[in-house]
Amino acid sequence: MRKLVIISLLLVLGYYLLDTFAGAEFGKDRKVLSNYYLEKSPSELQVANAVTAIVVNFRGFDTLGEVTVLFLAATGMGTILLRRRSKHTGLNPQRTSPEASKIVQAAGKLLFPAIMILGAYVFIHGHLTPGGGFQGGAIIATGFLLLLISYRQFKVEHKYVTWIESLAGLTFVSIGLLGIVLGPHNSFLENFLNVGTLNELTSGGVIALVYIAVGFKVAAELTGILDTLVNIRETGDID
Amino acid sequence: MNQILTYSVYGAAILTMLIGIFAILTKKNLIKIVIGMSIMDSGFNLLLIALGYIKGGTAPIFSPAVEGKDVIMVDPVPQALVLTAIVIGFGVTAVALSLVIRLYRKHNTIKIDEIKTLRW
Amino acid sequence: MVANPILYIALPLFTAFLVPLLAKLWKPLVRIIPGLVLAYLAVMSVVLMQQVGPDKPIITMIAGWKAPWGINLVFTSFSGFIASLISILAFFIWLYSFKFKKVEFDDAQKYFILFMLLTAGSIGVVLTGDIFNMFVFVEITSLSAYALTAFYKGRDGAEAAFKFLLIGSFSSIMLLLGITILYAYTGTLNMAQLAMLMPQVPMHAKIVSFLLFFVALGIEAEMFPLNGWAPDAYSQAPGPIAASFAGILAKAGIYALIRVSYTIFDLGNDGGFELLLVMGLITMVVSELVAMRQENLRRMLAYSSMGQMGLIMIAFGLGTKEGIYAGLFIMFNHAVIKSLLFLASAYLVYYTSRKKISDLDGFGKLLPLTSLLFGLGAFAIVGLPPFSGFWSKLSLLIATADNHMEFVLATILAVSVIEIIYYFRVLGRLYFRKANTEIKVRKPTWNSVVTMISLAIVIIAVGLHPDLITGLLHNAANTLADKAGYIQKIIPDLFSQTLN
Repeated sequence: MRKLVIISLLLVLGYYLLDTFAGAEFGKDRKVLSNYYLEKSPSELQVANAVTAIVVNFRGFDTLGEVTVLFLAATGMGTILLRRRSKHTGLNPQRTSPEASKIVQAAGKLLFPAIMILGAYVFIHGHLTPGGGFQGGAIIATGFLLLLISYRQFKVEHKYVTWIESLAGLTFVSIGLLGIVLGPHNSFLENFLNVGTLNELTSGGVIALVYIAVGFKVAAELTGILDTLVNIRETGDID
Repeated sequence: MNQILTYSVYGAAILTMLIGIFAILTKKNLIKIVIGMSIMDSGFNLLLIALGYIKGGTAPIFSPAVEGKDVIMVDPVPQALVLTAIVIGFGVTAVALSLVIRLYRKHNTIKIDEIKTLRW
Repeated sequence: MVANPILYIALPLFTAFLVPLLAKLWKPLVRIIPGLVLAYLAVMSVVLMQQVGPDKPIITMIAGWKAPWGINLVFTSFSGFIASLISILAFFIWLYSFKFKKVEFDDAQKYFILFMLLTAGSIGVVLTGDIFNMFVFVEITSLSAYALTAFYKGRDGAEAAFKFLLIGSFSSIMLLLGITILYAYTGTLNMAQLAMLMPQVPMHAKIVSFLLFFVALGIEAEMFPLNGWAPDAYSQAPGPIAASFAGILAKAGIYALIRVSYTIFDLGNDGGFELLLVMGLITMVVSELVAMRQENLRRMLAYSSMGQMGLIMIAFGLGTKEGIYAGLFIMFNHAVIKSLLFLASAYLVYYTSRKKISDLDGFGKLLPLTSLLFGLGAFAIVGLPPFSGFWSKLSLLIATADNHMEFVLATILAVSVIEIIYYFRVLGRLYFRKANTEIKVRKPTWNSVVTMISLAIVIIAVGLHPDLITGLLHNAANTLADKAGYIQKIIPDLFSQTLN
C-alpha cells in the first residue's frame, strides 16, 4: 500500500519533469555560454579540450569547490569513524575475508605501475585529450584499491596521504592567489603564464599546472578514503 | 522522430532517477539506501549530459583531426557540470557509508527499522 | 589591509589545507590559526561594508572573465550585510569553542577545519553570482554540517547526521534539477542573466523549476514540513555548532531562497510571495506549538529557531520593502540571539546527558552569569523591550499592518504568547525552584564568557539604539528590491543590448 502511494507520487513527479525537459528539445543548440567558450578556449587559452578550459579556467571556482568537497569528505570520514587509534597490528582484525589468491596478488603487483603511469598520463594531458585531474586521480586510486583488495596487510601510510593532499591543495589555491597578483585582470585563478600554442604539451599556461595539482589531490583523497573504509583501525565499541 | 528521441532519452534518465528515489524511500537496508542515492545521482548525470548534446556534434576537443574543418561541437558546459556533480555525489556517498559503518558498530544491524533512534 | 571578497573563500580553503601540516609543527596552531583567519575575515567585512553602497556593489571577477562568462562574486549592501553577519558571528563562535578541552587533538583539528569550511561555504552561498556555483557551496556547507553533527561519539550523532544527509541528498538533487531546467531553457548559469532571460522561459517550466528550488532551499532554510532533520541535528551537534546552524547555516539557506525568489524568478506577484508567506505561517505556527511540548532544552531551542525562520519567511513573503527590512532585522536578531541562547544552554546542560528542562531547577544560583545571559536572550527573542528583538518584531507587525493582513498579524501576536510561555517556563525553573545541590556544574571558561557577553552587549546596544543598524538594513532592503539594478550592474553590456 505504502509502495503504491510512493510509486504514484513518483510517477507524478516524473511526468512533470519529463514534460518540462521535453520542452527543451534534445540536440538543440543553446548558443549562449557554450559558443563563447568554444570560441575562446582554443583562441585565447590555447587549450584543445574545451571541457578542461571550462572546468579549470572559466568555472575554475567550481573546481576549487569540488576539491574542497573531496577534502571535506575525507576529513568528515575521519571525524565520523576514527576515534581511538589502537596500535596497528598489520593485520586488521575486522577484515575476515580470506587472502586473495596468488594469481590476483601477482597480477595486482604487475598492473600497479602501469595503472600509475596511465593515471599520470591522463592528468598531465588533461588539456589536450579527454580526461584530466579528476579522472587521472581516480585511476591512480583504483591502483591502490587493487593492492588493498589483493593484500590483507597492505595499508596506505596516512602521513604521506596528508602531505600530498595538503601540498596539492595549497598549490591550487596559491596558483589562484598568484593570479590576483600577476594576472592581467588581477583576478583569482587567472592565467598569468604564457599560453603557448594549441595542442602542445606546454600549452594552456596555469591550466595544465592546476590540473596536475588536482590530479595529485584527488588521487591522495580517494586513496585515503578507500583506505579508511577498508582498514578501519578502531576495534569494538565506539562509545 | 526527434520527438521520440527527446522523450526516450530524457525519459530513461528520469526513470533512473525515480528508481533511485524509490529505493531510498522503501528500502530498509541502509546500504541499499546509499545505493539508491547513487542511482539517483547517476540518473541526474545522464539527464544533464543528454541535455548538452547538439545534433551532429562531436566531442568539444580541438585536436589536430578537426583543425580547419567546420565541425559542430556538443555543448561543453553540461560536461563540466556533470564532472562537478559526480565528484560531489562521490563525497556524499563516502560520508554516508562511513555513517552506516558507525551505525552498524553501534547497533549491530543495518536494518533501518531495528534502529529505534533512526525513526522520525 | 587587503580587502577582496575572494578572500572570504580562498583564505579559509588555503588554511584548511595548511592546518594538517601546521599541526606537525606545533599543535596549538590548529586552534589559533582558524581563529586568526576568521578574525581577519570579520575585520575585512567591516572594511568592505564601508566601501559598498546601494549604487556601487563590489563585483569580483574570477579567472579574469566578466559575467556572465565567468563566475563572479557580488558583494552588495544586501549580500554583504549577510556575509558580514556570518563572518563576525563565526569569529565569536570560534572564540567560544577554541579551548575545547573535552576532545583529543586529532578531533580538535578536524573540528576547526570543518567549522571553518562551514563558514566559508555559507559565505560562498551568499556572495556567489552563479547559480551552479551556489549549489557547490551549498554542498560544501552541508557536508561539513553532516560531519559536525556526528562529531560526538557518545550521543546519537550518527543517526541525526544520517537523517540530515538523507534529506540533504534530496535537497541537492532538486536543486540540481532546478538549475538544469533553467539551463535547458536559457543556456546560462549566471544569476543576473537568468533574471534577464526569465521572461522567455515558458510558464510551466518556470513553475516546475521554481518549486524545485523552493523545496530544495526550503530544506536548508528549515521550512515545515521539510525540517525533520533540524531538531535532531541541533540537539546532537556540539553546542557551538548548534549555534552556528542557527546563525550561519540557516542564514545561508534563507538567503538563497530569497535570492532565488526575488531576483532570479519573476513569479513574485504570480503566487511566489504568497507561497513563501503561507509556508512561513505554517512553519511558524507548527514549530512554536511543538516547541511548547518539548522536554529537552536543545530541542525546544531548535523548534523555536524554526519558528523564527518561519517569521523571516513571512516577512519576505510580504514582498514589500518594509517586509524585506523587517525580515533582515529578524535575521540579524535571530543570528545573534539564538547563538547566545545555544551557547548559554551548552553550559546549562553540560553534565546532564538527558538535557531535560526539568533538570534545570535552581540553576540560576549555580550558574548565575550563564543563567542571566540565557534569560536575557529569552527576553530578547520573544520581543520584549528594551532588547533588539522588540524592534524587529515591531517592524514586522507594522509591515503586515501596512499590507492589510490582519490575519497574519493576529497569528504572529498569538504565537508570540506561546513563545513567552515556553521560554518563561524555563526561566521559572532556573530561578524559582530549589536547586539540587548534588549537581556538579561546570563554570564557563573566560573565552566563552567574553563571547556570550559580547553577544549580549550587541543585543542591548541595538535594543537601545536601533539606528546603529537600521541604516545598513535600509540599504540592504533597497538593494534587494532593485532587481533591474542588480542585472544592470553585473552584466551592463548585455543589459543595454536588450534595451536597444
